[in-house]
Amino acid sequence: MGNFMRLVQNENMKIYRRIRTWVMFGVILLMVLFFSILFRLGGGSSTISSWDAISQLSFLYYLATIFAAVVAADIVAGEFTWGTIKLLLIRPWTRTKVLASKLLALILFTLLITVVFFLASSLISFAMYPENTTSLMYSDDVSPLAYMLEDILYRYIDLLVIALFSFMISAVFRSSGIAIGLSMFILFTGGIFTMLFNPVRYPWAKYTLFVNMDLSQYRGGQEGVAGMTLGFSITVLLSYVLLFLLVSWLVFKKRDVAA
Amino acid sequence: MDLEPVVRMKGVSKRIGSKTIIDNLTLDIPPGQVYGFLGPNGAGKTTTIRMMVGLMAITAGDIEIQGASITKQFETAISHVGAIVENPEMYKFLSGYQNLLHYARMSPGVSKQRIAEVIELVGLQQRIHDKVKTYSLGMRQRLGVAQAILHRPKLLVLDEPTNGLDPQGIRELRSYLRQLAEEEGTTIFVSSHLLSEMELMCDTVAVIQQGRLIDVRSLHDQDAVANEQKKTMFEVSDPERARELIGQGQIMDSHLLLDIDRDTAAAINERLVLSGISVYRIAVVTRTLEDQFIELTGGGQIG
Repeated sequence: MGNFMRLVQNENMKIYRRIRTWVMFGVILLMVLFFSILFRLGGGSSTISSWDAISQLSFLYYLATIFAAVVAADIVAGEFTWGTIKLLLIRPWTRTKVLASKLLALILFTLLITVVFFLASSLISFAMYPENTTSLMYSDDVSPLAYMLEDILYRYIDLLVIALFSFMISAVFRSSGIAIGLSMFILFTGGIFTMLFNPVRYPWAKYTLFVNMDLSQYRGGQEGVAGMTLGFSITVLLSYVLLFLLVSWLVFKKRDVAA
Repeated sequence: MDLEPVVRMKGVSKRIGSKTIIDNLTLDIPPGQVYGFLGPNGAGKTTTIRMMVGLMAITAGDIEIQGASITKQFETAISHVGAIVENPEMYKFLSGYQNLLHYARMSPGVSKQRIAEVIELVGLQQRIHDKVKTYSLGMRQRLGVAQAILHRPKLLVLDEPTNGLDPQGIRELRSYLRQLAEEEGTTIFVSSHLLSEMELMCDTVAVIQQGRLIDVRSLHDQDAVANEQKKTMFEVSDPERARELIGQGQIMDSHLLLDIDRDTAAAINERLVLSGISVYRIAVVTRTLEDQFIELTGGGQIG
């Protein structure tokens, strides 16, 4: 019945008509600008290439990840908190389709925030270091653009996994607070976990989400620790993502809407 | 006119854990009526309504809307329904218009023109482009009615719609509902614990208590009303002696209540006066639905 894209349009409206979303984009632009200026001032007279400048700013992508987790946390839980879930689910659409529209809107948002981030950091970097565009950091046989795009892809996968985790917690606990909290926990303890439970010493750790999230470890055909490969990590990540979606779907579909 | 019921509840039960919330409820709602669903708090009204609109799973039995099962043919069944389940919660960060647009997109065939028509019907033209967070409760209620009738549903379900409304808002709502039932032939199913409210609004009332249907009665069956619900009240100087003299009746607040017609009332008056009992006032009192309801539910204990 009807057109599924209108549901996605609705979800988009609920994301982009909130001032919060524009504050997120504003914060990203401001932080990119702020750190560019800071690096420029700190660098003194020595100039780096624009590509290196972009790479220097990429740590700020954490902000995009946090914002994506926040939007994901609210997209289902918000409807419960606002009480609007009661009006949303009594339309001629199955719960599966309603949830799918939310998932699609979330994925579109993660893509948008990623594009905004990299456009902003690229434009600002090229504007600040227009004179020197050959990279010192990258060797001649690699195109900096290709390298950057590969880097974006790895970082985006990381963001998407966290956003989908947040989406699941949001659907299961109907609380955006818990969803944001747990996603941040995963985001920031991933590194510590990998150090504490090195897969070389703890073979089971290979199968945890944390040690597989950073796909850049396989860059240039390198092999990971404890015989892990790119294919292995992709399989593990994909399994987790499917699990997150399956749990979200089952809980959302079965839940009695009581409050 | 087809007289197939709009809603058919067939042996509906809801159990949560070992607790039975709704117990084998069977009820048909005929088309074109304002049908009341009455019961004390905690009787299972909201649970029943939530099962009716698919927000809650049904443990046993089934509910059909226009012949389509809400569990097996959800999309078809629900397309006939418009509802306000408890307070009409809206997206506060959106304008009233955007809220309506949101729901309009979810139902096939709701045009921009229809949205404008509904806005006019509920009288929100002036404020429709303001954010919902600036609305008063009464305005939100109107917006709630607007979203419920956008797609011209055959059945309108309202759960405790008058909660928190001021008397003027209640009167407005009542007149919308009457208008819908009479002009568009919409069947309206409305739950409430406010009995006097139901009397003013409904054609038929189903009474539910502790998850069980205990009575269904028409409120427009005037003969039944006249016979069943009216008593004659005598305000006299000595109600005890008056009762002895007449040999029937019940005493309430030092009034004597009798089930009699007008001729008998005149005769009894004469006898009382001749026996030296002063009669200050004779009046016909109507037993309200409220009295009957309390009678039925035994004072409304929640168990």
